[in-house]
Amino acid sequence: MSDNKLFGTDEAEFAKPLFVPIKRRSFFMYAGATAGATALLLAGCDDDDDDNTTTTGTVSLGSGDVGVLNYAYALEQLEAAFYAQIVATPYTGITADEKTALTAISRHEAIHRDFFKAAITAAAPTQIIGGLTPDFSKVNFSDRSSVLNTAKTFEDLGVAAYNGAGSLIKTNDYLLIAGKIVSVEARHAAYIRDLLSNGTFADSTVVDNNGLDKAMSVADVLAAAQPFIKDKINGDNVGK
Amino acid sequence: MDFLHLLARLATLDTDNTALTQAPRRAALSRLGQAGTAILPALLTSLATPAEAGKKDVRTRLDALKLILKLENLQNVFYSRALGLLPGGPANPTAFFGTTAIKAAIQTMQSHQAQHAALYGQLVTNAGSTLDAMPNYDFTGSRNGAQASVYPDVYTNLDTFLKIAQLLEDASVQTYKGQAAFLQSDNYLLETTVRAHSTEARHAAQIRTMRRQRGATVKSWVSATDTAIVPTGSSLNVVYTTETNISQYVTLNGAVTRVPFDSTLPINVGTPALSASALLAKVAEAFDEPIEAVTAESVLQVFTY
Repeated sequence: MSDNKLFGTDEAEFAKPLFVPIKRRSFFMYAGATAGATALLLAGCDDDDDDNTTTTGTVSLGSGDVGVLNYAYALEQLEAAFYAQIVATPYTGITADEKTALTAISRHEAIHRDFFKAAITAAAPTQIIGGLTPDFSKVNFSDRSSVLNTAKTFEDLGVAAYNGAGSLIKTNDYLLIAGKIVSVEARHAAYIRDLLSNGTFADSTVVDNNGLDKAMSVADVLAAAQPFIKDKINGDNVGK
Repeated sequence: MDFLHLLARLATLDTDNTALTQAPRRAALSRLGQAGTAILPALLTSLATPAEAGKKDVRTRLDALKLILKLENLQNVFYSRALGLLPGGPANPTAFFGTTAIKAAIQTMQSHQAQHAALYGQLVTNAGSTLDAMPNYDFTGSRNGAQASVYPDVYTNLDTFLKIAQLLEDASVQTYKGQAAFLQSDNYLLETTVRAHSTEARHAAQIRTMRRQRGATVKSWVSATDTAIVPTGSSLNVVYTTETNISQYVTLNGAVTRVPFDSTLPINVGTPALSASALLAKVAEAFDEPIEAVTAESVLQVFTY
């Protein structure tokens, strides 16, 4: 859904009763607090131009905010499935601290996955993507290095994906949710990196010389994630 | 619709600040969509006492940038003193850190905070504003003796130093998260801010990991099982009380709906399955929470004078 639909041609009519008696400054004050009201209004103009038509074997994430939510849902499905497998078949030599932490991370990712499932089901029940089939054939789950390096790839990718998607999000609620999740993913990434190589929690492979963590486009993220997912993912219209 | 009445009623409240009168109406309108639904209940509550609503968070993009700059300056000075780059820290920084690994990690963090401070200083200047004078800092929390110290041995006890580092990094993650919404209308500022935000989260996790390796009971993420690092009664506790939130919301058929983590979602992976309360504890861990500017300022104030 788009703010522009609401605030476009009807702007003058919409604004009039609200603005005439209200000082701009005070309107600013309360406008930010009326997201709930906006949500109510926006609910009436649900996107119906999303194209989720799928060709055989291809999963389209859709467009607009729903596309961004499906995008996050796809990545969280991948991470949740990966950590569930680690918990089910821990690698050789796993320490108590690692087992505790990786089990906790598996819960976090499952919670994120199911949160998005609930959010999309609520916001756009006809547009939610289904369950994806992961492909972890290249991961040796009994080998610590194989598992943790894959975990590092997924966590860094997740952070870069959320960072790149922030500006694609139109609805404030979803921006806040993405913000709440991305920092937890960054914490995971820092922990996993420390397990592999001390001191690499925010090294120059992820943080640039302005102190900014990586941001990646949808296309680049999906290209990196695709080898781990059997279904073909199409994210061409995410955020558009 | 009730909200029209609400807005009309709020309009009768006055404010003496006219700094934003130049703001175009369209920009103001766009703000309608820019705040979390989580504060809706708070707004409704405020109906009973509309005068209180005058304290609601009001932010321009410049306000947001300036708050982030303040935070980064403080963190930069905090780490720079510890490393001996600025006076006021330990007599022998290398001895203070004990291991090269810890010192190297703090150096990495300091360099990022300095980069963030430079970047946000530039953004504030680019916005046509001037940089505010830097305050004085007192990381014992005594405000130069004006109140009792919270952390008297900040630069003589590494574990105390790391507690403050954790507190500031966690608060930093929350502050960035709270300010992002006010920058949403500018893609560059938004992306810059979310990217600096996740760098801060990496720092926070590393500080927590280092503390755990030194024997503290603390996860690499914010958990209810973490041992408290803020004295009881200190205003700094606000950083962690906000993290106990287990309610996340989605919009369902126009209504704000709480996601029922405790009953209907197939979250329970692995065996044994978690109890409802244990599951909700994991929900709290899985989402970091924002703090409003006024809360962030209250944290910064403890260490400045």
